Amino acid sequence: MANDKKSIFSPVTAFKNLVKKPETVRYPAESNDAAKRYRGFHINDLEECIGCSTCQEVCVNDAISMVEMLDVPAEEGQRNERPQIDYGRCCWCGLCVDVCTTGSLEMSRDYSYIDLDPDTFIVTPAENDINQVEHPLGYLRDQSSDLLDLKRIEMEMLEPEERIDSFIEIVEGFSKEQAEKEASRCVECEICTETCPANMNIPQYIRGIFDDDLEESLQQIYEDNPLPEVCGRVCTHKCEGVCALSHRGEAISIRWLKRYAVDNVDSAEYKQVLGTEKIEQNNKKVAVVGAGPAGLSAAHYLSVMGYQITVYESKEKAGGMMRYGIPEYRLPYDALDKDIDYIESLGVNFVFNTRVGEDIELKELHENYDAVFAATGLHNGRSTRVPGTENNNVYQAVNLLADIARGKEVPVTKRLVVIGGGNVAMDIARSMARIQKDKYGEVDITVTSLETEDIMPADQEEIDEAREEGIVFKPGRGPKEIEINEDGSLAHLCTNCCVSVFDEDMNFNPTYDNSDIENYECDMVIEAIGQGGDNSYIDDQFEIEYAGPRIKINDYSQTSVNWLFAGGDIARGPDVINAIKTGHDAAVGIDKYLNDSLK
Amino acid sequence: MRNEKDLLQLMNAHFEPLKLEIKRKQNVSVEFKKEELIQALSFLKSHSYRHLSTISCVDWPEEGEFELVYHLFSYDDLINISLKTRIKRDPGIFQTAKEIWPVAEFYERDIHDFFGVKFKGNDNLEELILENWQEIPPMRKDFDTRKFVNDKYEWRDYNGQKHTD
Amino acid sequence: MDKNTQTEIFFGPNHPGVPGNYGINYEFEGDTVTSARANAGHLHRGFEKLMEERIWIKNTALVPRICVEEPDINEMVYAMGFEAIGEIEVPRRADYIRSIILELARIQGHIFSIGGNAAGIGQYTVMHWGTLTRDYLLDIFEEITGARVYHIYIRPGGVRQDIEDETLDKILDLMDELENERFPDLQKALFENPNAQKRWQGKAVITKEEAIEMGATGPVLRANGVPHDLRKMMPYAAYDDVEFEVPTGENGDAWDRIKIARDDMLQSIKIIRQLINKIPDGPVQADLGNGLKYKIPKGDAYVKIESKRGEYGYYMVSDGSLKPYRVHVRGASTPLGLYGVREFLPGTRIADVPVWAKSLGICPPEFDR
Repeated sequence: MANDKKSIFSPVTAFKNLVKKPETVRYPAESNDAAKRYRGFHINDLEECIGCSTCQEVCVNDAISMVEMLDVPAEEGQRNERPQIDYGRCCWCGLCVDVCTTGSLEMSRDYSYIDLDPDTFIVTPAENDINQVEHPLGYLRDQSSDLLDLKRIEMEMLEPEERIDSFIEIVEGFSKEQAEKEASRCVECEICTETCPANMNIPQYIRGIFDDDLEESLQQIYEDNPLPEVCGRVCTHKCEGVCALSHRGEAISIRWLKRYAVDNVDSAEYKQVLGTEKIEQNNKKVAVVGAGPAGLSAAHYLSVMGYQITVYESKEKAGGMMRYGIPEYRLPYDALDKDIDYIESLGVNFVFNTRVGEDIELKELHENYDAVFAATGLHNGRSTRVPGTENNNVYQAVNLLADIARGKEVPVTKRLVVIGGGNVAMDIARSMARIQKDKYGEVDITVTSLETEDIMPADQEEIDEAREEGIVFKPGRGPKEIEINEDGSLAHLCTNCCVSVFDEDMNFNPTYDNSDIENYECDMVIEAIGQGGDNSYIDDQFEIEYAGPRIKINDYSQTSVNWLFAGGDIARGPDVINAIKTGHDAAVGIDKYLNDSLK
Repeated sequence: MRNEKDLLQLMNAHFEPLKLEIKRKQNVSVEFKKEELIQALSFLKSHSYRHLSTISCVDWPEEGEFELVYHLFSYDDLINISLKTRIKRDPGIFQTAKEIWPVAEFYERDIHDFFGVKFKGNDNLEELILENWQEIPPMRKDFDTRKFVNDKYEWRDYNGQKHTD
Repeated sequence: MDKNTQTEIFFGPNHPGVPGNYGINYEFEGDTVTSARANAGHLHRGFEKLMEERIWIKNTALVPRICVEEPDINEMVYAMGFEAIGEIEVPRRADYIRSIILELARIQGHIFSIGGNAAGIGQYTVMHWGTLTRDYLLDIFEEITGARVYHIYIRPGGVRQDIEDETLDKILDLMDELENERFPDLQKALFENPNAQKRWQGKAVITKEEAIEMGATGPVLRANGVPHDLRKMMPYAAYDDVEFEVPTGENGDAWDRIKIARDDMLQSIKIIRQLINKIPDGPVQADLGNGLKYKIPKGDAYVKIESKRGEYGYYMVSDGSLKPYRVHVRGASTPLGLYGVREFLPGTRIADVPVWAKSLGICPPEFDR
């Protein structure tokens, strides 16, 4: 700049401004629009918002509180709460926008609001901001400013060629580093807790992993789930479906995190960590019928409360469908045994190879025990009953799976067809594929289902993995007939096109197009279209109410016969976690019942 | 002009530091026994570390200690050195550095206000920022801000709703 | 001296002659200060305590408020402290953007404080010009960051959003306008004004020795001919990629310091042009994962950068949790506002007190934090 000469005339240059146009904006005659990125008042898409309260969590000044909105339905995966902002506290930092899990919260370019009543400065942002005028959008979150970690840590799995000829577990599990990184993604909104059938403390145990405090995780997990090794592998993980992060990114791998937490606590430490080294006994006895997930869950919670538990099981080992239904490559027996051994170590007494109704009557149990919990499950495979199913080469999936679990040799042929589109169909198809590969060196399995692939009840990942293993899918086909050769061997499965599975009332009522026929050559057919149970051991002696095909139970898993509680698949399906919940409810219910606070 | 290593060697040659660390480029930190710290300050000042940035105090209640950190800078070496020492939390008394840097008087008063540490030789420890403070010094970890606010101030009711904490 | 000529005056905490809510208690003899005592504490907001109770990311919205004059400096030091403890690499483009922001902030701060200085000697026209010119810079900030004064833009790991090319062009245009139109006006109206020169020359002298002894940095030290600048001495952000000079003075007086502020702005323009010419492409934010769960290892760091008024430092301690364990703010004017007032104000005449306080860049919120 010029040298600093001194002149009394220099400042006079300021007078030139007298003839210049003023630079001030003549507000309000001239508008003074804010910049494109301006952080103005909030707007919120109430439909999109799920009430996860992450904005409240990140708010620097506690300006955001969640308020109940009656006109917003409380649906699965969301709360009927929406953020309310106190503009007396807000500093317009926009962190709430950067952290919004759904992207519903945004900011307008509107920056001016005046009112004499301080109460009006508290608003629940909706389509329009505080001024109720439509303004162009201001600050928008972008990839750099996004505060959420939207990508999940890839789980390492065995490659198809490595896994197809053995029953080794496919999912390798997280390393410590991976688990902590994955756990760090959680925003702790607890939406998942509300969706989880067992209402597990999911954010809390994930937090334990993040803090490298697995004992804390284990305690949180056992609050609601005594079979975490199982659920850490085969849970249907409804939680992940509603994870707040799944709206803009990938859900947190909740299931694998649970598995990591329990895999990495030594079973020798369980009692000390869970505070069950010494349990005070209360001299009351409860019988549990069936050692499946529901029975084990009830046995666990009851014995922790001090009850003497005896579990009657018709098979030779505990676990129910978890052992005899789920293949080893998904749930290794070691993992299952870790959970069961711990429950047994609490003092639970198991009576194996004893079928209630045959070897011992329910009546006797009623006489000898203070209460009974029945969870016998569904173990009888259903048949399509199409012509040809009576042939020797047509099998039921559940029977084959149980035999595989027992280590028995199962029949296997070169060309196989599986009928069914659920997870059991996947389990048997993939198990048989392994045995086929082992025996014949190649896989030739076709899976047909009524449902088209988009509505197949099996998990998508199961379908994908099965396909990777060489299994061929023919979705949307209805079985019509199994044609049989003269020598009694199978010729092929004849199918027609399934036009729709459900009718207008969403009842199961398939319709077919008989002009579209396809035949699948095969020498063995396995049916996996669902199972039924046998409750005659109850029905023969006691009259209990049913709700449809299942036994009617209340919130405490109590049946219409007050000393009899029921859970698992005979009362409420369809998966392990629901069974665990009914078992837990029953434990609470039996405790109440025996302490006279439940009729 | 010394580099970071030379500086640490110099410290080792003249004192018995508990811990020497090159934090990153142009930044080192040295932990001293409390008896040596004041000496180290005046030694460093006479070795071109004439700029005292500030004095920090950190409360470590679990160890029952206050950590005092003196940040010095040399315009010759262009190195920032943080000198640390720990003193007992109770009674929390240390030596003043105002004989070396008169300005330290104010940094010490600030620490006295917020942590309650007394500095022997600094007679002027009257309140600097706070006024008529009755509670425990506010920057101590056991000072509960929320409780203080709730005890001291009334929450305003909004929309007829009582404030819930 | 006759006792009747002694007067005690409370100057502030609310007075146009002091910067911010801060008082100085004086005793005068005639109109000459005989003793002065800083009366801080009217502005205490407990930032350091608040920060200990908030997770790392939340504090990014808190730190700019520590000092009104230098919000971006606070954001930068906080981010640097986090990165130093966590050993986090910042993308190069983010370094460039940070430097651009810091230099824009420097111009903005200087033009504002030159205006304030001018107001202190009654040159209100220049003060209004300063405020106006600053507003054009705030427009730029609004475009880059979404806010005018408290930007909440520099974040641990980088910056919040990328700068668009269009905005970079606007910055260059504004730099031209400042250099060619606004600064010459300022030069004529203020720096060539004999009145202003007389009011500032030889006033509020702080010598090199005094400055170093009390830890005063920036223009106060540089006014004595020493080009000490942390941008050169301990380069951070992208300052090692640009060429610039560090303006100095000769006499250590108010006049020199204000001239340094002016020359600093010209250097900033030079720096900004270089940065915009060389800015690399790439991401602007390191991947730090979930913002609610930023976690860095145990450790501590003293980080400092050159604000427009000298060394601005944070001493940060992490205990490995989600929140900082301790953040200690060392504002640039801390030694001057507390110690300097007592030591160097006596002898000043009452009319020169604003010259003293403003030319030294005293910003009470940063020591009364």
